[in-house]
Amino acid sequence: MLTDEQRAVYSRLADVLIPSAEGMPSASEADVPTKWINDALGYRPDLVPAFLRALEIGADGEAEAAVLRINSTDSVAFDALGVLTSGSYFLNPAIKELIGYPGQVPSPAYDDTASYIDMLAAVVERGPIFRPTVT
Amino acid sequence: MSNTHLIKRPLPDVVDVLVIGAGASGSVAVFELARNGFSVACLEQGDWTPATEFAGDKPEWELVKQKKWHPNPNVRQGPSDYPINTDESDVNPLLYNGVGGSTILYAAHWCRMMPSDFQTRTLDDVGDDWPFTYEDLQPFYEETERLMGVSGLGGDPAYPDEPSFPLPPLPLGKVGLKAAAGMDKLGWHWWPGANSIASKEVGHRPACLRYGACLTGCPAGAKASTDLTHWPDALEAGAHLVIGARVREITVDDKGLASGAVYIDRDGVEHTQKARIVVLAANGVGTPRLMLLSKSEHHPNGLANSTDLVGRRLMMHPYGAAVGTYEDELESWLGPAGQILHSMEFYETDKSRGFVRGAKWNLMPSGGPLGMRSGYGGRPVDESFGVNFHKNVKRVLGRSFEWGVIAEDLPDESNRVILDPELTDSDGIPAPKLLYKSSENTEKLIKWHVARAVEAHEAAGATSIETTELMRDCGWHLLGTTKMGNDPLTSVVNQWGAAHDCPNLIIIDGSVFTTSSGMNPTATIMANALRSIRHLVENRATQPMSGE
Repeated sequence: MLTDEQRAVYSRLADVLIPSAEGMPSASEADVPTKWINDALGYRPDLVPAFLRALEIGADGEAEAAVLRINSTDSVAFDALGVLTSGSYFLNPAIKELIGYPGQVPSPAYDDTASYIDMLAAVVERGPIFRPTVT
Repeated sequence: MSNTHLIKRPLPDVVDVLVIGAGASGSVAVFELARNGFSVACLEQGDWTPATEFAGDKPEWELVKQKKWHPNPNVRQGPSDYPINTDESDVNPLLYNGVGGSTILYAAHWCRMMPSDFQTRTLDDVGDDWPFTYEDLQPFYEETERLMGVSGLGGDPAYPDEPSFPLPPLPLGKVGLKAAAGMDKLGWHWWPGANSIASKEVGHRPACLRYGACLTGCPAGAKASTDLTHWPDALEAGAHLVIGARVREITVDDKGLASGAVYIDRDGVEHTQKARIVVLAANGVGTPRLMLLSKSEHHPNGLANSTDLVGRRLMMHPYGAAVGTYEDELESWLGPAGQILHSMEFYETDKSRGFVRGAKWNLMPSGGPLGMRSGYGGRPVDESFGVNFHKNVKRVLGRSFEWGVIAEDLPDESNRVILDPELTDSDGIPAPKLLYKSSENTEKLIKWHVARAVEAHEAAGATSIETTELMRDCGWHLLGTTKMGNDPLTSVVNQWGAAHDCPNLIIIDGSVFTTSSGMNPTATIMANALRSIRHLVENRATQPMSGE
């Protein structure tokens, strides 16, 4: 679990990565630093050390410069920061709805052969394209 | 499925056949032998993987698939995995250790090889001819397709017998129709992809729910992994399965015949299982590793390795891809993933292209929003984040798909599996090391094919196209490391998988591939395993055995 201080640092960094723009909320507006990052860190405990390194490197100074500093000094830490922040954002059902992504929901297979069978006739008409066995 | 995997029976001191590996080929062997009255035991270093464990139907799927369900064992680092040194390999090997083997995580593209794949020396003056033909393997393909419940559409003019399949094809959806329209403009071959994914309920499996998560394990249980297709019936037929059994050596008797195996259980206790015949089904890396580990007075260079070919001729199918993005909403997160279409337009050799052999193309969806964004450390921040984070999601999500190119990899004896002098697995057993370089022919082949795939996207109306000419994490197909052939001086096993130097050692996994073809190999691995084991069953009276 993040300390209050770490969470404050992370909130500033996360909003640089995912700002409010293009009609979409920022990371903090989407509850990433306060809620979803907790879930994401639980799903990816292997990324926790690199993520915490990113927070240490980015603790001081203006947030945009801090993000650039993390990327230039520790690309593994930046990867962890990026994956966990993006992943947390997309865990939020409200974000999924805004981007039109239903998530991995059941969508039973169906037979759509009729929609392309006429197109396939042209493939068949072009004839065989294999080299037969040499005997 | 039933609870037959819970059946526990005491292991006989000596079994007729000991199978090492419970994956695609080992499953075929165990089922075929058990139902024909052989006493058979299988040693598997992994465990069962119930469909309820898979994340493909859960919100965290895209986060956990980059670790727990990653196909690279060096990334996944699960308790069943052994490390593989890839410092000197262009490509990472991808595999899964457990009941069902790599069929747990494979994409289930079901591809027979072409007739020319069995005769590359005769037709193209490269590689070697297989000791049998497409026509010899054809009935075993058909039998395996029935058991696996393959979905596909008959009549494909790319094959001589225009094979039909037991189940109707999976839907093409918007992605498939868009790509097919592009191929039609160019007059290029395409066909609905055949997949070992159930389009309707079959056997122990329900129909596909199109989660698009095939590569991280099917949460619906619709994909034909052999823990579902073979093991329940094999156990009902009396087979023994030992999970958590990591083999460190195949033993031999005083005649040099294989006599069993020494394995270590998950409590660290060493056991010896004796057998009259040993079947190796541990994949193109695990099988040569075990043979090289099994040195003895009769086999001082490793088991059945008088030719020094064990571990050599490693082929891993370098993979190239072109991903197109479209204006239309295509729901490109839906499965199968899986191949929606395939194309054999450029499969056969045309020397005017500057290389020999060819590649199968497969059309695949692009997944969810996070799958598009990983590994950006060191790249400009504003390329993937800031305002572009939102722009990229809107532009790409649901609107992109991939034409992938499975490049035929020609055999080269310097591409090989060796034992690492220092690295070991968690039981202290020497780990494998790969020495593998992509060839000039392969590089030309991929470059040319990817350029054509770009044209296919352009014809279909893509607004942007990104290409990859060699994906490092692409070594799904581990082939060729115990070459099959008629001549004991230039091959390790004969056409039935029996080692020339050790006739009661039968190898049935992708190691035996004489050449690699440009196809996903599971169909051929399983059909060839069935052919080899059927031969063993039918010739049991004359089969050499240990202890006779």
